[in-house]
Amino acid sequence: MPPLSSGQQGGEGRWQPLEVPWTHTNIPPQCVQPCCRPLCYEQSEHRLHKSSQMKMEEMSLSGLDNSKLEAIAQEIYADLVEDSCLGFCFEVHRAVKCGYFFLDDTDPESMKDFEIVDQPGLDIFGQVFNQWKSKECVCPNCSRSIAASRFAPHLEKCLGMGRNSSRIANRRIANSNNMNKSESDQEDNDDINDNDWSYGSEKKAKKRKSDKNPNSPRRSKSLKHKNGFSVCTSASNTLPLLFSSSGELSNSDPFKYNNSTGISYETLGPEELRSLLTTQCGVISEHTKKMCTRSLRCPQHTDEQRRTVRIYFLGSSAVLPEVESSLDNDSFDMTDSQALISRLQWDGSSDLSPSDSGSSKTSENQGWGLGTNSSESRKTKKKKSHLSLVGTASGLGSNKKKKPKPPAPPTPSIYDDIN
Amino acid sequence: MVVSKMNKDAQMRAAINQKLIETGERERLKELLRAKLIECGWKDQLKAHCKEVIKEKGLEHVTVDDLVAEITPKGRALVPDSVKKELLQRIRTFLAQHASL
Repeated sequence: MPPLSSGQQGGEGRWQPLEVPWTHTNIPPQCVQPCCRPLCYEQSEHRLHKSSQMKMEEMSLSGLDNSKLEAIAQEIYADLVEDSCLGFCFEVHRAVKCGYFFLDDTDPESMKDFEIVDQPGLDIFGQVFNQWKSKECVCPNCSRSIAASRFAPHLEKCLGMGRNSSRIANRRIANSNNMNKSESDQEDNDDINDNDWSYGSEKKAKKRKSDKNPNSPRRSKSLKHKNGFSVCTSASNTLPLLFSSSGELSNSDPFKYNNSTGISYETLGPEELRSLLTTQCGVISEHTKKMCTRSLRCPQHTDEQRRTVRIYFLGSSAVLPEVESSLDNDSFDMTDSQALISRLQWDGSSDLSPSDSGSSKTSENQGWGLGTNSSESRKTKKKKSHLSLVGTASGLGSNKKKKPKPPAPPTPSIYDDIN
Repeated sequence: MVVSKMNKDAQMRAAINQKLIETGERERLKELLRAKLIECGWKDQLKAHCKEVIKEKGLEHVTVDDLVAEITPKGRALVPDSVKKELLQRIRTFLAQHASL
């Protein structure tokens, strides 16, 4: 037999491959197994596994007869069967423990109960969609029947837990402090007769206020940022409470937010109107017949319009509040006309509008309960024209000791600059 | 170096097993066996037997060991001959290819 592993040059000089290709006649000497004799394809496999074969050969398959191999085969088979059995056991055990082993044995009647439902309007379990929308639950706290979708927010308020309720509580405390102050003022200053009107509406207002929450997220917040406060159309508000105090209108809490951008002026009392006009534009829109609630510098309306509105409501003595702020801060001089007095009373709040520069205003605001809170809040406004007005206004206001000048002459000049 | 016959056999078996796993033949054989057993109804028979055993023992008190002890011998016995033969044939073929020359 020609050597297997040596490559040699053929006689003709042709290069011979290293290994002589196997043929079935060319059985390697080590192989004594009869089983591999008939298979030709083995030879290609032998090439691949040559190294392992060499190893195995080293381990000496010699002496390994058929029976041994058979035994090994049987062993392998037994292992496989055992694996399958074990696997099956584990499956059964899990089914038993999870409770679904005997599921196949359900009687057909029960099976019908759990059939898949295919009717319109129902899910596959047969449940109605949206069933819980109209359901009502009884609140365990207040024993009221509440709609299911509103139950969670109601419970939050009812129990007094949750972020919103603490905010509401804090506001109520702040309000009650203010209200106490304002009430005491009222009783001291006004007649008892006058109090009747405000008292009655106070009670009403208090009751109804508890129903409508000014802090509820439903209330429109668009107005909140524009002005210090906004006014609700309903007359049952706590409006009377607010206007009885002078100079304490900087807190916006008692006001309710209005979903529309205007106010119908018919429902407002005189005090409310005055305070409104000191802080808001107030121009009545032709379309909606409502007062504009934007700021005093609202670009939609001219100052002429604002003045007209004020004159219409408050008489000829009414003037745009921006100008008068310079007058107010001068002194508590009450010897002037009635118009001036009334102006002084509610013009304290008008300090809000032009007071962007806190430094110029701190000295001026000493006499008033406002402090610089409102002025600081106004600082966030970035209108340049506003600031220029402030410059001029503070210039005017710095003349403390002078008597208040008639407002008519300087007014046009200021506004001419801006307009 | 004298290597005892036992050692050689053990080594042999180990080598064969290794080969089985490496080539993936073992997995294939397992899958084949499972498919065949389900096909011939072996699994259903064994499941029925399981149910009896469980009903005997009580559903709550069944353990893996119990199940294994009861079911494995029955399982081994229930394998049909045809399946056995076929599987053995395949194993022999594999051995012939890989283990020996």
